[in-house]
Amino acid sequence: MMRDALVIGVQTVLLIVIAPAIVGYVRLMKARLQGRRGAAVVQPYRELRKTFRKGMVIADSASWIFHLAPFVIVGATVAAASLAPVISAAQPADLLGDLFVLAALLMLGTFFLALGGLDPGTAFGGMGSSREMTVAALTEPTIAIAVLTLALTTGSTSLGAIAGTVLKTPAYAIGPGHALAFAAFLIALIAETGRLPVDNPSTHLELTMIHEAMILEYSGPYLALIEWAAAVRLTLLLTLAANLFLPWGMATSLAPVALVAALLAIVVKLAILGLLLALLETRVAKLRLFRVPELLALSFTLALLAAASSFFTK
Amino acid sequence: MEAAFSRITMTAASAMLLLSLVVLWRRHAGAYITAFRTQSITLAVTGAIVAFYGTAPELFFVSFMILVVKGWIVPSVLSAMDAKRRSGRELHPLLNTETSLLVCGALAVAAYEISRPLAEVMNLATRGGLPIALALVFVSLFIVVSRRDVIAQIVGFLMLENGIALLALLGAYGVPLIVELGVFLDVLLGVLVMQAVVYQIHDTSAD
Amino acid sequence: MDLILVLALLMPPLAAGVLALVLRRVPRRVAWLNVLTIPISLVAAGAIAVRLATGGASIVVGQLWRIDALSGLLAVLIASVAALAVALGPGTDREHHWRDADVRTFRIYVNLFAFTMLVAVSTVNLGLMWVAIEATTVTSALLIPLQRTKASVEASWKYLLIGSVGIALAFTGTVVAYVDFATTGVDINVALDFTAMREAATAFHPQVARLAFVFLLVGFGTKAGLAPTHTWLPEAHSEAPSPLSAMMSGVLLAVALYAVMRWKTIIDLAVGSAFSDSLLLIVGTATLAVGSLSLLSQTHFKRLLAFSSIEHMGLACLGLALGPLGTFAALLHLTGHALVKSATFLLSGRVLHRFGSGTISATRGLLATAPHTAVLFAAGIFALGGLPPFSLFVSEILIVKAGWAAGHPLLTTAVLILLLIAFGSLLVQLHRMLFGEAPSGITQGERATGAVLLLSVPVVVVAWLGVSIPAPLQMLLSNAVLVVRP
Repeated sequence: MMRDALVIGVQTVLLIVIAPAIVGYVRLMKARLQGRRGAAVVQPYRELRKTFRKGMVIADSASWIFHLAPFVIVGATVAAASLAPVISAAQPADLLGDLFVLAALLMLGTFFLALGGLDPGTAFGGMGSSREMTVAALTEPTIAIAVLTLALTTGSTSLGAIAGTVLKTPAYAIGPGHALAFAAFLIALIAETGRLPVDNPSTHLELTMIHEAMILEYSGPYLALIEWAAAVRLTLLLTLAANLFLPWGMATSLAPVALVAALLAIVVKLAILGLLLALLETRVAKLRLFRVPELLALSFTLALLAAASSFFTK
Repeated sequence: MEAAFSRITMTAASAMLLLSLVVLWRRHAGAYITAFRTQSITLAVTGAIVAFYGTAPELFFVSFMILVVKGWIVPSVLSAMDAKRRSGRELHPLLNTETSLLVCGALAVAAYEISRPLAEVMNLATRGGLPIALALVFVSLFIVVSRRDVIAQIVGFLMLENGIALLALLGAYGVPLIVELGVFLDVLLGVLVMQAVVYQIHDTSAD
Repeated sequence: MDLILVLALLMPPLAAGVLALVLRRVPRRVAWLNVLTIPISLVAAGAIAVRLATGGASIVVGQLWRIDALSGLLAVLIASVAALAVALGPGTDREHHWRDADVRTFRIYVNLFAFTMLVAVSTVNLGLMWVAIEATTVTSALLIPLQRTKASVEASWKYLLIGSVGIALAFTGTVVAYVDFATTGVDINVALDFTAMREAATAFHPQVARLAFVFLLVGFGTKAGLAPTHTWLPEAHSEAPSPLSAMMSGVLLAVALYAVMRWKTIIDLAVGSAFSDSLLLIVGTATLAVGSLSLLSQTHFKRLLAFSSIEHMGLACLGLALGPLGTFAALLHLTGHALVKSATFLLSGRVLHRFGSGTISATRGLLATAPHTAVLFAAGIFALGGLPPFSLFVSEILIVKAGWAAGHPLLTTAVLILLLIAFGSLLVQLHRMLFGEAPSGITQGERATGAVLLLSVPVVVVAWLGVSIPAPLQMLLSNAVLVVRP
């Protein structure tokens, strides 16, 4: 019991701590691919430290929601992070929650982010919030169904159990259902975390923003919290993609050797996924906004096909 | 061995289904023709795999015919038709992309349900891919019904034929050779006649 | 002897088509030659029919060809209608001037069209039957836009696409049935052979058989003009040149229904007739409703005839669902419809040519302008409306009777009402066309040309059938019913 709690705690802290590094790594890879030198991997930490120290300027029209939102976002994201199987597949995840709780927590974060964007009553904030909700309405079901596909074959919605079952019986991983669900999950990941081709995270043109527009009014520690939560969300989703669909390397016991090996494995997997993400961002242009629902409908259909094939061919 | 055979055919069938989704997703006629060509090549490869594992040597000939007729001749005819048209404009279907894709998801689920009695009576190793073949048939039907552009309609019809060929391949390792030859002839003649009629459409509506 | 009969049936149209293809410089002579070749098929079909009517065994040649009573009946209809169309089409038609290239195109494809239809009904291999029916779509689609108008080209495209998709669905049904057949462990090499399938039918799995029949009905029903996939029919049949419309409306629809009948026999042996009967009942009634109700609002007389075809096909489909009596009535109905619809379409071609327009409001005063054509046309419309003494009246009464006997009183009443609506609509439009003031600039008067004499034959035959059906035909029909419902 104590050991399980310790493992869960370590996993959560790990995710939270390395999140900005992941974001920095992706930026570095992107820069290198574009022929620039790029900032160091630890640059986001420096930015966060700087932003934490700055003073806040808050609009007069902001209400208590504006103040509450960053904390809810961080809380929801950290809670979601505690559910993810990062190193160990042998956790008693039923204690805390399963796939549906995870999806709900992510949605809670998105919801409050959108509220925070709407609250000050600025035009850009409202625009960003409405766009974000459109995207979220299509990505949340996709993520849920994609992971549900895996849950159907394993017979349990507990994330650790899912990862563990695919480890035990690799035959599940070959076959259209698994591949389709993975593809759908990746597309939904790109949309959820606001990366190209759905949303450009480094844009300064307000009319093209989705995620950035919502946090235009935030400054100082609030902004730092929200940025950190966004980094944690990216790392969390990448970890899920890596460990649910390709769980090899995860520890199935609590032996220290296994845990260290699992740590290395997850770092390697995150590095590969991050590189792929950077490659994709360098290659594609941002989609026009009315094309985004088409992409998301495609990913939803793929997830639906994956679930159908898993459900009917057992 | 049999499990691998089953899985490979299922994956190939899924690839064919995904290629048909391309027609709903892209808006350019060249993309449709490429999707059809790739789908036909995948079908030919599937045929060869079934011929090998299922010990049905005449299927090698059938796969070769599929490659030649549907993988080469028909796409060339379609490309010629497309080149003759004046456009490069985007093609607007009757139903928008998001709804079309969602309808296809629903059709795939329906296909799984409908083909359940069929999959139950079959005792061949390829029965897992049967619902996917039926889903391809339904999705192709939907493409024909919901597209306004002529090339998209023809590609939808040809994908329907591919789906039925896949159904026959996975369901009974192909139909008798004489019927297979008749089908090829019909498809080829059908496409040529379609080409002739489409050219006449252009001639009479050229103003 | 069997071989000679089959060759005499199938070869003439094929030979005529090839001849038209090869001899490009003399299309008019080819056309007249054509008029001489098709009657050979007609005689062969007649001989086969007589033999089958008097209780002779089915004509069997090799593994692919088998002509039983049902096939024989349809072969006679196809050959008769083809003979009419060929005799009165481009090249032999003195009154209407066609370009040489169009004459050649017509002669090639109309013969191939007749050939494919004859193959479809003479073969015992259901796969080959499917191939032949698909080939009918291909050969007829090129003829619809013979006059290169925008409307006819679009009609041809719609026909080609919807027809091909329908046929593909029918093939899906064929494949599903084939898969089921393959699981019964019978020799694959005779698979899709009608007699072999009939024997193995009791071993089919019920769910799969039902699934196959649904696909087959939708698929072949598209070609037969059954609702809801009938949308190609009004344009295709009205925009096509009249001889082609005659063949398409008269016999192509019947051949598609023939395919449904063949499969119905097999599926009924597998799951009992209740399933297919209920499906045919629903589809038939829906088609009848669409046809009858659409007749109310038609403004073009060829479209009027096309919707009338839909109505009659719906009725025949309904008849098939109502037991042996209904099947007999349906087959009699198909016979009468084939003859009278083809004649009426060819007559409408003459009207179109005389008045230069296809709209009813522009073709007034027909009786005064072209009396012989008018009288025959009126007779044709009376027949299609179900008036006595024509045989369609008899078959309609028989279907209603079968409906009562099978225990569908509400349905039968609805059918009667729809038939009355159709009858009324047709008569109203006919009245508008026959009487009134003819538009200026139309040549008046008409001689009893060979064409008119020829066209009076089917009308008279159908009238005669309505009064009394000769014994051989009755035997043929009864034997055909036994084929469909053993």
